[in-house]
Amino acid sequence: MTSHAQTPLERRYAMLGLALIAPTVLIFCAVIVYPLISAIYLSLFQIFTPTLQGEWVGLGNYAAIWGSGAFWPALWTTLVWTVGTLTLQIVFGVAMALVLHQNIWFRSLARSLILFPYFISTVVAVLVWKWVMNDLYGILNHLLIVAGVTNVPLDFLGSMPNAMVSVILVGAWKYFPFVVIAVLARLQTIPEPLYEAARIDGAGPIARFFDVTLPQLREVLVVIVLLRAIWDFKEFDLIWLMTGGGPVNATQTLPLVVYREAFGLNQMGMAAAWAVSMMAVLLVFMVVYIRQTRAKGSF
Amino acid sequence: MAAYQFQIAAFEAVTPGVKVVFETTSDEGYAPQLAAAFASGEVPDIVTHLPSFAVQTDYANGLLEPFDDVIAAIGADEFYPGANDVYRAADGKYCGTGIGNSAANMLWVRRDLMQAAGIDTTPETWDELRAACQAMQTGGLFGAPLPYGQNSMTSLIFIGFIHQAGGQVFTPDLQVAIDNDGTRAALEFYRSMRELCPPGATTYSWGESLTAFVSGATATGIYTGRVLANVRDQNPALADQITCATYPRLSTDIAPWTFNDFPSVFIPAQSKQKDAAKAFAAFLFDPEGYIQQLHAAPGHVLPVLQSISANPIYQDNDIIRKCGPEVDLMAASAAGGFNLGYESAGHQSNAKAGEVIGSNAIADLVQKVIINGDNVDQALGETAAAIDAIMKA
Repeated sequence: MTSHAQTPLERRYAMLGLALIAPTVLIFCAVIVYPLISAIYLSLFQIFTPTLQGEWVGLGNYAAIWGSGAFWPALWTTLVWTVGTLTLQIVFGVAMALVLHQNIWFRSLARSLILFPYFISTVVAVLVWKWVMNDLYGILNHLLIVAGVTNVPLDFLGSMPNAMVSVILVGAWKYFPFVVIAVLARLQTIPEPLYEAARIDGAGPIARFFDVTLPQLREVLVVIVLLRAIWDFKEFDLIWLMTGGGPVNATQTLPLVVYREAFGLNQMGMAAAWAVSMMAVLLVFMVVYIRQTRAKGSF
Repeated sequence: MAAYQFQIAAFEAVTPGVKVVFETTSDEGYAPQLAAAFASGEVPDIVTHLPSFAVQTDYANGLLEPFDDVIAAIGADEFYPGANDVYRAADGKYCGTGIGNSAANMLWVRRDLMQAAGIDTTPETWDELRAACQAMQTGGLFGAPLPYGQNSMTSLIFIGFIHQAGGQVFTPDLQVAIDNDGTRAALEFYRSMRELCPPGATTYSWGESLTAFVSGATATGIYTGRVLANVRDQNPALADQITCATYPRLSTDIAPWTFNDFPSVFIPAQSKQKDAAKAFAAFLFDPEGYIQQLHAAPGHVLPVLQSISANPIYQDNDIIRKCGPEVDLMAASAAGGFNLGYESAGHQSNAKAGEVIGSNAIADLVQKVIINGDNVDQALGETAAAIDAIMKA
């Protein structure tokens, strides 16, 4: 092995490289590394939120979280919400993308309107849905009573399992357009000869979907599931505005616990410990998921 | 909003160089908003209408400016006797003052429905109330809009029920005492009322509860005097049919317990305009603007200054004229009212009350026992432990 002394030109190129990459590294540190380290640092203190005054407790906050037995129920609730709403988003999104890929009337208009739920603010969407589900004046209960499905209004948001089902459905309605956009874009690039070959082989519409379309969508679906799983896992505003985490803690996901600790109980350190724990769980899931999909994709 | 804009414009006119920017908040939103504001140091210069127990909590943590100067500027003798007691902090100073009084748990009833159901007198006890609600509940009309939601209204209203059964949340020296016979009786009664409330009462807060009665969906209501203005504006057909009383209790041997959140005005210690904020705080009590503010929802916020109650301009309002007995009853009830920061005249001021309410521990108790059907002993034990942890934090 021989050492190679850098020439002045090589050193200048190296310096130029460092100079060019420095802004990116600095921005990365400012927006990713610093908040992350701050959160971990905060989680080691007991801090009163309004004054940000507190004392060092080391891993005491983590011990309290794990000792209280509150973490697993909150994680389970978060997983139920995430898996439930993500599954519906994928199913509705793919189905709608397939419809919008056909030569239907007003296709352009339909493609625009389908994005509506994704574009409106969560606050507005929740207000509309809460009004629709209102026990006294909501159209949904009115229709159910008129149809003879029930004699008394249903409590959609204040009892279980209705509250979780309602939140999952509204979440699916709000975010499935993202799936539609991504899948529709991919559908338009699938080579037509693949379908022609499948038809020649006698494949019907269902067989063509499973043998041609779905494999072609695989890569984009991996990305969609990854992104939407992260976003749904840390969803706060929709659930908070719909149920506030109730009844009792039945829809209290991890982000709601973080919020309640930080601003309901004014325990910023404990909130940071919850947030760090939540991040660790998310990281584990993401690593497992990415490894699984890579393994399958290698065949 | 119009009344505030009038007061702001009038203050800016007499205070050159000062511009007042108005921001709104909500019953469920103020605590996190203020916590974030205090943490960041970007605080409002003056805050109004938060409950007194929230003010005590913030003052105890050194977040508020003593308010004695402002009270002196308004005139301490102008207030009703004892009106500022709830704002006296442990250091002997005042942490704020009341911008009004409120009787938040008045029982509102419909005379027409009572008459149709053969009920002669307004219920005074829980048994009478339940029987009246059962008699008045028909298809599409529910008995009462009691809150069962996971929010501050449920906590605050249920604390009233505990006291209406002779119980208490804390002992006078602020030891946790929620596990008592009064709380158990309150839980039992509250559970029995569930079938007389709309299905969605499991998520009700102040707005939903108020609307349920004003719209005619429930036979009784539980709210402040805001009911009067809302009925006048939104459902005038009911205007001649409604009246109010103090909320019923377990038995007439127990004194009524009115929840008064003592809507406040206070100044954050981090304010960069303290002198202007103090001047504006005192200006809010200037009769012309103050009366406009009180008239925005007559009976909702009641005057704390003796001279205002007797002021002919204050009395010259259609609702106050028409509903004089109701407004007088609310004023008297509110004047003798309490809240979690001030449970009784014998209780110490509770600087942790705001955090207890913010934790939803008491609303959780209601939901666990009534919605989930959890064991009362276990739920009460968990609630007592949760509150105790907050007190010791």
